[in-house]
Amino acid sequence: MAYFQEHYVTLLLTIFYVLGCLYIGWYFKKKANQGVEGYYVAKREIPGWVISLAFFSTSASTNTYIGQAGKSFEYGLSWAWMGFIWTFFCIISWQLLGPRMRFQTARLKSFTIPDYFHLRYKSTLAKSIRVLSALIILFATLWYMVGIAKGCAHVLTSVLDIPYEYGAFAIIAITCAYTIWGGMYSVLWTDAIQGIIMFGVAILMLAIPFFYAGGVDNLMESISQTNHLTKKGIPMKSGLVTFGELVSFLYILGIGLAVGMKQISEPKNLIRFYSVNNAKSMRFAMIWTPVFLGISLVCVMGLGALVHGMASAEEAAYLIKDTDEVVGFMLDKFDNKLVSGICVAGLFAAGMSSLASVIIIIGTAFVKDIWHVVKPMKETKIIPRTKWFMGFYCVLVYLLTLFPMAGIVELTAFAGAVFAASFFPAIFGGLYLKWGTDLGAMTSMIMGMVVNVVWRFAFRFNIEGWEDIHEIIPAFAISMLTYIVVSLLSKKRKPDGEHLKVVFGSSL
Amino acid sequence: MDFLTLLPYIGIIVLVVINALLVLRRDITVD
Repeated sequence: MAYFQEHYVTLLLTIFYVLGCLYIGWYFKKKANQGVEGYYVAKREIPGWVISLAFFSTSASTNTYIGQAGKSFEYGLSWAWMGFIWTFFCIISWQLLGPRMRFQTARLKSFTIPDYFHLRYKSTLAKSIRVLSALIILFATLWYMVGIAKGCAHVLTSVLDIPYEYGAFAIIAITCAYTIWGGMYSVLWTDAIQGIIMFGVAILMLAIPFFYAGGVDNLMESISQTNHLTKKGIPMKSGLVTFGELVSFLYILGIGLAVGMKQISEPKNLIRFYSVNNAKSMRFAMIWTPVFLGISLVCVMGLGALVHGMASAEEAAYLIKDTDEVVGFMLDKFDNKLVSGICVAGLFAAGMSSLASVIIIIGTAFVKDIWHVVKPMKETKIIPRTKWFMGFYCVLVYLLTLFPMAGIVELTAFAGAVFAASFFPAIFGGLYLKWGTDLGAMTSMIMGMVVNVVWRFAFRFNIEGWEDIHEIIPAFAISMLTYIVVSLLSKKRKPDGEHLKVVFGSSL
Repeated sequence: MDFLTLLPYIGIIVLVVINALLVLRRDITVD
């Protein structure tokens, strides 16, 4: 009974939130199951405000609201350059890829990112690109999902004292259920609701340290000169508010590019463009998505640095060892049941929106882009098999969450770099370059992976002064160059004029 | 707080405003 008295606000808010998500999944069950186009891309009939919020909530996850927010405890307020780079690539994605991707995928009847490669480059080799890209998705997404499930389960453990294994099961099972029921419809609509919660919670979380310290001046004064120690045991002094003192700009640039460039290459983000219903909605989403993401990142990216104003020297010495605990510490210290309850709902929303988005990407990639390509199946079997595979993959993720391997955060960032280097040239070339060829796309995809692996494991940590140069920088540059050079050398392989007319239309 | 630390916070706001102005001036075709 004492447990319920202590946690009733958070429990009520969490239950209300979970039931809302499940209701949305159930509500769209019938509509989503009418055909593959409905289940995979919501028949391209979703309004702009829903897509906009869904893109934002898919991009930001618990990694952002817990991991990245906590990082500035160690790196100071200049960590917000991460948010700047991220917002910049969000804008690039919507300006450069959004309208064209919607235009071409509707004309080609493309339902997934891998099948876009196949339909756009139109050849036997393009079929191999489709399978290869689906395999990359299956492998790279696994670590991302485990990382998020782990983050959510830790929140449940620290706030509601729910054992880790039960918390992880609940998060994965609930998200899997509503995704399986309503397909892309429920993913997008729950994402939109979760986006609203996340936007509000980002602003609320920023307010907490200021309220605790008793105003802006008090807080800024206490973090401008602090005797808290860095990880190496040196006093920070004015490091939290001084550019480049606690972390090099090159390091921020590398991580910022690896995370930010996911916006222009990761299937869970790009698939959002497929479902926009018309030009007016596209315009709305192009304007407002960077606003939702940018404002939220302004709020959370410097949060950790501000928490120094709430911590004693002893507490700071403990937190600097594991910055993932900074946000939880902040909520504990503020000690307001309602605020904690709302923030926990926001953290769930951040985790579940990203989890649902990749669950559906996994299901579609395996069934439509591997199984269906290798052994074509009847249209009526595609949706049931997609559901079964999503369920199976969620069980696999749960098992890996119970026994997580070391270095999941690094693996996730590495997977982001692989997506950016391997997928972007083939997508950009497909959308803009009529002379782009299947061979250019295939070789750039392979080069993107190879350079990523070689740079990270052979060069980066073995040559002095190179450790801050993230593999995404050389991998992206070489992959892009490969696409252009190989396409120009294999001009004869470009699709025929009739096909290009279908792809590019007369108005582009 | 030095200028370069403050810059990303202001920069994000400036970025989204410029983006909005660019989108409003642009013709958009989706199908």
